Amino acid sequence: MTAQQRTLFGAGRRRFIPWLLLAPGVGFYLVMAVGPSIATAFYSFTDATGLRGLPINWVGFDNYNEFAFEGARSRDNLDAVQRTLLFMVLVTVLQFGVGLLMAILVNQRLKGSLVFRTLFFVPVILGAVVQGLMWKLFLRPGGGPMDTIYGWLGLESQFLAGPSAFYWVVLVQIWANAGFTMVVFLAGMQTIPAELNEAAAVDGATGWQLFKNVTWPQLTPAVNTNFLLNIIGSLQAWMLFLVLTGFTNSTKVLGYVVYAEGFGQQGTSSFRQGYAAAASIVLFLLVLVLGMAANFVVTRRERKYLG
Amino acid sequence: MSVLTHSEPEVVVHDDFGAGKRRARRKIVSYSILVAFAIFYVGPLLMLVMASLKTLPEFFRDPTGLPEGLEVNNFTEAWDLANFPQYLFNSLIYTVVATTLFVVMSVFVAFPIARGYVKGAGPLLTLYVVALFLPPALIPQFQLILNFGDIPVIGDVLFSFWPEGSEQQGLFNTRTGYILLFLTNPIGLIILVNYIKSIPRELDESAAVDGCGYARFVFTILMPLIRPALATVIVIHAIGIWNELILATIYLTSEDNYPITRGLLVFEGVYGSDWPKLAAAVLMLMFPMLVLYMFLQRYIISGLTSGAIKG
Repeated sequence: MTAQQRTLFGAGRRRFIPWLLLAPGVGFYLVMAVGPSIATAFYSFTDATGLRGLPINWVGFDNYNEFAFEGARSRDNLDAVQRTLLFMVLVTVLQFGVGLLMAILVNQRLKGSLVFRTLFFVPVILGAVVQGLMWKLFLRPGGGPMDTIYGWLGLESQFLAGPSAFYWVVLVQIWANAGFTMVVFLAGMQTIPAELNEAAAVDGATGWQLFKNVTWPQLTPAVNTNFLLNIIGSLQAWMLFLVLTGFTNSTKVLGYVVYAEGFGQQGTSSFRQGYAAAASIVLFLLVLVLGMAANFVVTRRERKYLG
Repeated sequence: MSVLTHSEPEVVVHDDFGAGKRRARRKIVSYSILVAFAIFYVGPLLMLVMASLKTLPEFFRDPTGLPEGLEVNNFTEAWDLANFPQYLFNSLIYTVVATTLFVVMSVFVAFPIARGYVKGAGPLLTLYVVALFLPPALIPQFQLILNFGDIPVIGDVLFSFWPEGSEQQGLFNTRTGYILLFLTNPIGLIILVNYIKSIPRELDESAAVDGCGYARFVFTILMPLIRPALATVIVIHAIGIWNELILATIYLTSEDNYPITRGLLVFEGVYGSDWPKLAAAVLMLMFPMLVLYMFLQRYIISGLTSGAIKG
């Protein structure tokens, strides 16, 4: 018994000190993060509002039913789900490709590669507001930079105000985050032993063969990380939509639906938090299912390349 | 690496003319792609700088060309109009207070978990890992903050210090409430736990034998030793708070409480067509981050990506 009561940093009452000092951190974590996170499922079955003092009633699956099947709103919602998936596919594939290309180029021993690397990462630290406003200026119709370039090419577009707005947001999203993908790839490339490349070069491997047979398999962990992060990140991303296009039906993604319905922002006057909770559970399930599917693919790939 | 550098000229000598040519061609291709990307990255920034140096009529006449003169007034006017000093102050308060509290609390969670000094350390760590896959907490969190006054004891005590009636909105639209939102970060905690595991346990033992108390050990011995991990975690957390927009739009309704991100969006709503001023405002928001980035680049890049790479 005495042995148990004696800990490294003191006996008697003092042995509770680690617990005492651990409590605030864990407490905040449970109350502010884990608890609310789990409670989202509960709220999705109620008619909770964002207004104080109104009673909260249990409504069963009404919110989900309304979200998917009732009226014009549900059609908008399903469009939003579709758009979210399209956004995920485009961003994941393109950002992966651009990031990889950047990493390969910057990883060569070229003069100034550090400058390029620094530059490509800059948007990551700037945040959605600065990223968005910068591109709003760049894509300004009526004589903005991109409009001028379009003019030279004899093209015309309304950019963020037109039907192609969604694709411009995809572009900005990739621009903003490709630097991150690049850095993850670079970290992976630095772990590839130099001897491997050398041996392959001695055997007469050229650029493409070297990449296909040495770099790519060796890069497996970074490839998988980027693949997973891009999928999950792009499913949840919607801040740039908020800054670039605001609340319009033609660019609405699922994350934005949650925010707009739950907090009565532009375009809707409701504070329907039960409904919004249901929408966020739908988004969560989407992330879970696709994340797990991606994880399955990734694990198989790892087994194939790394044994 | 150096081996590779040395062997390079040799290869050129041994090889026929084709390899050298191929290398030169590849260099040209690489540079052209890099420069094309660079234009894409510098372009928007350059346009922002140019717009900020034009007068409004000049901007409407020629939005893309070089500015005729240097119109510095945009900066001073934007600074005054946008209530910038207030926003900047708020952003600083939120970032510094929340990051400090978070880091100190997290070290006291991470240390006993890493060492197994508390029972259930393993499950506790799992709880942090699992959180990365839980649904978003947005809505219940809002309810919690809004109804904070109804919480027995804690709510009563807290609001007894504040003016009468303030419990009506709970911690909604208060600085305290906003800071509470940023006191957790599972990835940060996991990074700390992993790093502390690499610090030899004998250190704790000899310190304890010498009669060093638990809290003193953590503050004076452990913290300096885990400085790289602390820097990483501070960077992740601080940049997240500084750039936060969604929570700022949800929770803060009075302009006095706006952080700079939200303030900038409001400014855009009012002066959206006055691009020179807006551009000046955006540049002023960017500036502190860019300077920090230049100086702490290594920490910032490793900080923002370490969760991804280690995880």
